[in-house]
Amino acid sequence: MIAAKVRPARSRGGYRAGRVSLGWIATFCLPALVLYGMFVVVPLVTAFSYGLFRWEGIRPAEFAGLGNYQEVLTRYPLNEEIPAALWHNLLFFAGTMAIQNTVGLGLAVLLYRNPRGKRLFQTVFSLPYLISPLIVGYIWSLLLSPTFGPINFLLRTAGLDAWARPWLGDPDTALPVLILVNAWQWIGGPMLIFLAALGGIPRELEEAAAMDGASKFRAFWSVRFPLLMPAVGVITVLTFIGCFNLFDLVYALGGSDGGPSGAMDVLGLLYYRTAFEGGTNSIGESSALAIMIFVVVFGVSVALERFLRRREVRM
Amino acid sequence: MSRTRRGLFAAIGALAMTLSACAPSAPEDQAGPGAASGPITLDVWGWRQEDAAAYQKIFKIYEDAHPGVKVKYVPYKADEYDTILRTGLSDANGPDVAQLRSYGLLQPLVAAKSLVPLDDQVKELSGFPEPVLDGARGESDKRVYGVPFAIQSLHVIYNKKLFAKHGVNPPKTWDEMTAAFDKLAAADLTPLATTITDTWMLPIQQEIFGATSYGGYDYLEKMRTGAAKFTDRPWVESLTKWKSTSKYWPRQFEGVSYVDAQALFTSEQAAMFPGGIWELAVFGKSNPDLELGIFNVPPPEGAATAKTLVPGYVDGSFGVAAKSPHQSQAMDLVRWMASPEFGQAFSTELRQISAVPGVTPQDPLLAQALAAYQADPSPYVTYAYFSGGTPTAWDLASEALSTFVTGRSGAEDAAKHIQQGVDQWFKPTQ
Repeated sequence: MIAAKVRPARSRGGYRAGRVSLGWIATFCLPALVLYGMFVVVPLVTAFSYGLFRWEGIRPAEFAGLGNYQEVLTRYPLNEEIPAALWHNLLFFAGTMAIQNTVGLGLAVLLYRNPRGKRLFQTVFSLPYLISPLIVGYIWSLLLSPTFGPINFLLRTAGLDAWARPWLGDPDTALPVLILVNAWQWIGGPMLIFLAALGGIPRELEEAAAMDGASKFRAFWSVRFPLLMPAVGVITVLTFIGCFNLFDLVYALGGSDGGPSGAMDVLGLLYYRTAFEGGTNSIGESSALAIMIFVVVFGVSVALERFLRRREVRM
Repeated sequence: MSRTRRGLFAAIGALAMTLSACAPSAPEDQAGPGAASGPITLDVWGWRQEDAAAYQKIFKIYEDAHPGVKVKYVPYKADEYDTILRTGLSDANGPDVAQLRSYGLLQPLVAAKSLVPLDDQVKELSGFPEPVLDGARGESDKRVYGVPFAIQSLHVIYNKKLFAKHGVNPPKTWDEMTAAFDKLAAADLTPLATTITDTWMLPIQQEIFGATSYGGYDYLEKMRTGAAKFTDRPWVESLTKWKSTSKYWPRQFEGVSYVDAQALFTSEQAAMFPGGIWELAVFGKSNPDLELGIFNVPPPEGAATAKTLVPGYVDGSFGVAAKSPHQSQAMDLVRWMASPEFGQAFSTELRQISAVPGVTPQDPLLAQALAAYQADPSPYVTYAYFSGGTPTAWDLASEALSTFVTGRSGAEDAAKHIQQGVDQWFKPTQ
């Protein structure tokens, strides 16, 4: 009986799909495909082809094959700056995962359990989202200034002179400060995703665990958290992509060199310097570097996504 | 025609219309044979948005003397200008005359053959000193591609009122200088408003305090022939001497930005600012009550020269676009830019030192700076003379000096970083 009900629905669906002509499908898909092609595929293919030539200013001079890749990977100091920048990106990713996403999850759980003021706090935590990272960087560089900044002024007023540091100038504090400022801006993102995911988990599951004698922590960790794994996966991949495409905030906080001693130098800044502060062959070298960055980000994102999906299935 | 095809044609047609609407149109003065003839407009592209009004005033002099030619200064944002110019020079829709960066930053445009060499065309250039023309020269062919417009000299700019209040005079010796710094520090002032986070200022500060240690042009000549290196003792010593002044820098100088340093000086919390002569106009606008003076750093004990050297360099030049449809009129304009009439107007309107020989600035401080630079000039080595290849000495120095002043490396390591980078492309002259 059930099968009989299902069958006509299937055939009706198939019938409808058959009636929509390929022309109409193409008409509706074409604008998106053209935009995607123009702004994603064409620049990518162009960058790849540019990277295969040696350039003289804006003129391709000769076919260089993988010469630009070799140049970028072997020329001093780029050959030392690339691994250093990659390491900074990795630290930035790890720090962002540990602070932004963990605190974001904590805030989401708090708001989920205490609905009073939920909308207000949702808005408050998400507000920095609306500000351009360049402006955020500029404002924080003013706040953190050791000469005129209010943060060091407050610390000194409170008698905590030793805590007043040249935050963005000291190579030991620059990267942690960058991670914190970035988390300040984007913490609303993971919080909203986790909040939505928490809302989708039936309360009965945690109640059942409580009835079985599980503590609140145990109920969260063993019952609710595994069901949040799809959200964790999405956020991890998005965070990875965001962290490896980092540019505007770090540029505003530390300039194109990534601050004194290059403590905040990341791949995005390295690309910028190669492309816009480079020499005669800057187009060729920066295109090669861009392709390498793309391969790393794309490859790791795909691997990360697959790994997390497998974990989800296991949990 | 089937529905499918009709749908596809409709979509392609709509897309074609959209794209054609987005396509660039021809500029007004190239609208084809049918276009009305009128005055020719020469577009002069530049990176000085803040100088646009002054340039229009300067070009009015030229327009009055050349009826039928209009000159329009088109400024772009300074940090986007190089990219915009590279693209703009690739076709006839770009500038007729372009403001060009000097030394290494000029080379991509020379390599792309985007500019017309001026040596044979602008005879007035023969009156310019060779070091000034170096700023507008192609590294590969040694030809001159622009008429230099400004010389920037580097000094210690000081607050006259604060100096007088604390009984300090511009120093004649290194010891006098450090004694003056001590006196100002004891009065709870920051003696030197320096920046570290804006690393491009570090090679400037190093030249101001270190030029006499390595010896200026004499040492440069040895470097160019391969007889001396960044890693040799005189140049390394210039780093050490410069850093020895760090006890007079702002508290927690590692985190002080360029803007912070400027604010420290204009708010009279700092007595001196080591920087370029261009700062005079900025400081004058920020605090019109400031009474400014300049001096240069006297040689320390063991310096390579007994003279007080004044570092300086060519800030930029004006060149003619190879694809300009009005090349002959553009050439006339740059010829005028090499004349004393332009130089004087430039110096007066923009409060800068003109690169045109014989032009004396009306501003007494600029005149003092120019006279001092002409008497004992010193090169801006990393920016001007080792910037023709990749990586440039200037980029390497900005990185290395920031590591050095934040205590992450020694002077020798910093010098080695620069030398190692430059060695990859620099060929000594025979």
